[in-house]
Amino acid sequence: MAISVKNYTNRYLVLAILVIMAIWALLFYALLMDEVYDNVDDGLKNQKIEIIREAFKDPSVITDNKTYGINQFIIREVAPREDLDKNHFSRKLIYMPYDEEDEPYRILSTGFFSKDGKAYELEIRTSTVEEDDFLINLAISLSVLYIVIVLSIIIINHFVLRNAWKPFKETLRNLSQYRFGESKSFQPVKSQVKEFEELNLQIAKMIDRNEMVFEDQKRFLENASHELQTPLAVSIGKMELLLQDEAFNESQLKKLAEAKQSLHRMVGLNKSLLMLSRIENHQYNQTEKIDFNALTKNLLEELEDIYTYKEVQVSLEDKGIFLADCNPELAQILIGNLLRNAIKYNKPQGQIQVVFSERTIRIANDSLGEALNPKYIFERFHKGTQDSTSNGLGLSIVQSILEKYPYLTIQYQFIHNQHVFDLIKN
Amino acid sequence: MKILIIEDEIDLLQNSKEFLEAENFLVETAMDYPSGLEKVMNYQYDCILLDIMIPGGSGLDILKQMKAANRKQAVLILSAKDSVADKVLGLEIGADDYLAKPFHFAELLARIKSIIRRNAQEGSSLLTYKNITVDPENRIVRIADKTLSFNRKEFDMLYYFLLRPNKLLEKTTLAEAVWGDHADQADNLDFIYSQIKNIRKKLKDADAEADIQAVYGVGYKLV
Repeated sequence: MAISVKNYTNRYLVLAILVIMAIWALLFYALLMDEVYDNVDDGLKNQKIEIIREAFKDPSVITDNKTYGINQFIIREVAPREDLDKNHFSRKLIYMPYDEEDEPYRILSTGFFSKDGKAYELEIRTSTVEEDDFLINLAISLSVLYIVIVLSIIIINHFVLRNAWKPFKETLRNLSQYRFGESKSFQPVKSQVKEFEELNLQIAKMIDRNEMVFEDQKRFLENASHELQTPLAVSIGKMELLLQDEAFNESQLKKLAEAKQSLHRMVGLNKSLLMLSRIENHQYNQTEKIDFNALTKNLLEELEDIYTYKEVQVSLEDKGIFLADCNPELAQILIGNLLRNAIKYNKPQGQIQVVFSERTIRIANDSLGEALNPKYIFERFHKGTQDSTSNGLGLSIVQSILEKYPYLTIQYQFIHNQHVFDLIKN
Repeated sequence: MKILIIEDEIDLLQNSKEFLEAENFLVETAMDYPSGLEKVMNYQYDCILLDIMIPGGSGLDILKQMKAANRKQAVLILSAKDSVADKVLGLEIGADDYLAKPFHFAELLARIKSIIRRNAQEGSSLLTYKNITVDPENRIVRIADKTLSFNRKEFDMLYYFLLRPNKLLEKTTLAEAVWGDHADQADNLDFIYSQIKNIRKKLKDADAEADIQAVYGVGYKLV
């Protein structure tokens, strides 16, 4: 699952800080303890010198300190040995009445020879750091520090990154508003951040490149269909002259007529392509308020002979008047294509229902076949299975027209064996 | 009847010329703006077929010049540019009609005839073949002095037949002639068939001397 860049960095920061602080805590603990023992040991060594000095001056010191008393040392007589005066440090837990528990003590064991040459063992002890308490305290304070650091990072990240990423989010929003064929629909976002500046620049460049390719394609399409017109007209004309020739027999005439008919289909296709490129080249820009109810009724009148011949029933229902700003010619083509489809793909003695309301025009017709795939029907040259006479451009012209008017959309549904097209005004 | 064709595409020009000459028109041609303008200004024609995109200028400019010189001639614009704006502009400047390329010759002939008829000051505009008479102005069909009632589409079709008796009329031509832009419907051809059947029945019931004959798979002929 994708996570935002903020959480992404936070996750790694939290882990990294945890590891760093753990290592740091170990080192810190070792160093500190080393320093503490060093200090304590120095004190003990100093005490030793003072005690030995005192013992030389006053032998009672030796006799009075057989056990630990107020003075935290004992002197015991031992057999003389070579390394008697060597310092030996150790740790030991000794009961401490104040704390009512055993506490760690640092003990210096050493020895000396008294004035009279006897060997004595000297043991000096002093209370030292409670390592376990120290460790716990250290752990607690470090945890608190860790939590504080992590929280600060998250909070700072939240605000700083939110600000820093603002231009990025804006860029994203602008990109989502970008419509192909309109390079102006993408607005670059000014940003202090170098990377975002770069991003904007590259997006703008990419859009320009794409638009150029798109423009080229459009121009190619338009030029190609334009150039096709004359040769088509010439061929059709020649065939028509041939058809007038009395010398041909019926089967020859039939072949000629069929060839001519195919050429006419090509003319139709060519016209549709030209229409598409004209729509896309914004050659129908002037708009006016169109009463779609009246327009549809006019078109239905024109088509009346066809649908009565097919014995198709047309029912009209006015729930409201559908008014929209549109180019009058395009509005004609739009509704005309939908109505013609409704007649063409109807079943014999079928029904067409046209329902007007203020926001929608519904054109529903009985279907010969199954539901159409709304994903493809608006694509160019997409054809239903049963139909060989269509050029597959009717609905894509509808789509191209609607792309010019963002407030108009079309929806296709298949309800109760009927193809239902809803023209919706937002 | 004299006709001037102003058209730069030689093949198209030849086609139209051949067709119109077969229909007993006297055809003159011009292939660019200057020669077209010269002919238009100096000679009188019954109808001028004017292409909009011609070398050296625009067909619309020829129209403007004619208007400026107050020279009244019947003009039918022929254009590959099937745009309503052009059509409206052309008609405003003074053209009589507008036909988008490519067109059926039968359609062209019908348009020319109707322009000539409208511009004719006097004389009969009735079409007659054998004992059938059609009055396009008042949309009346008479067979041996008996008036027949034809509906709109039937009349349009019969008119096309009478314009060119004995000539083959293709089904698609008929369909486009009577349906105009809506002719892309495949079912139209069946519709044509049923209309023809009605016309034939009416002609037969009125004892017309002519009949519509089917040329199998191609179209029909009035014989």
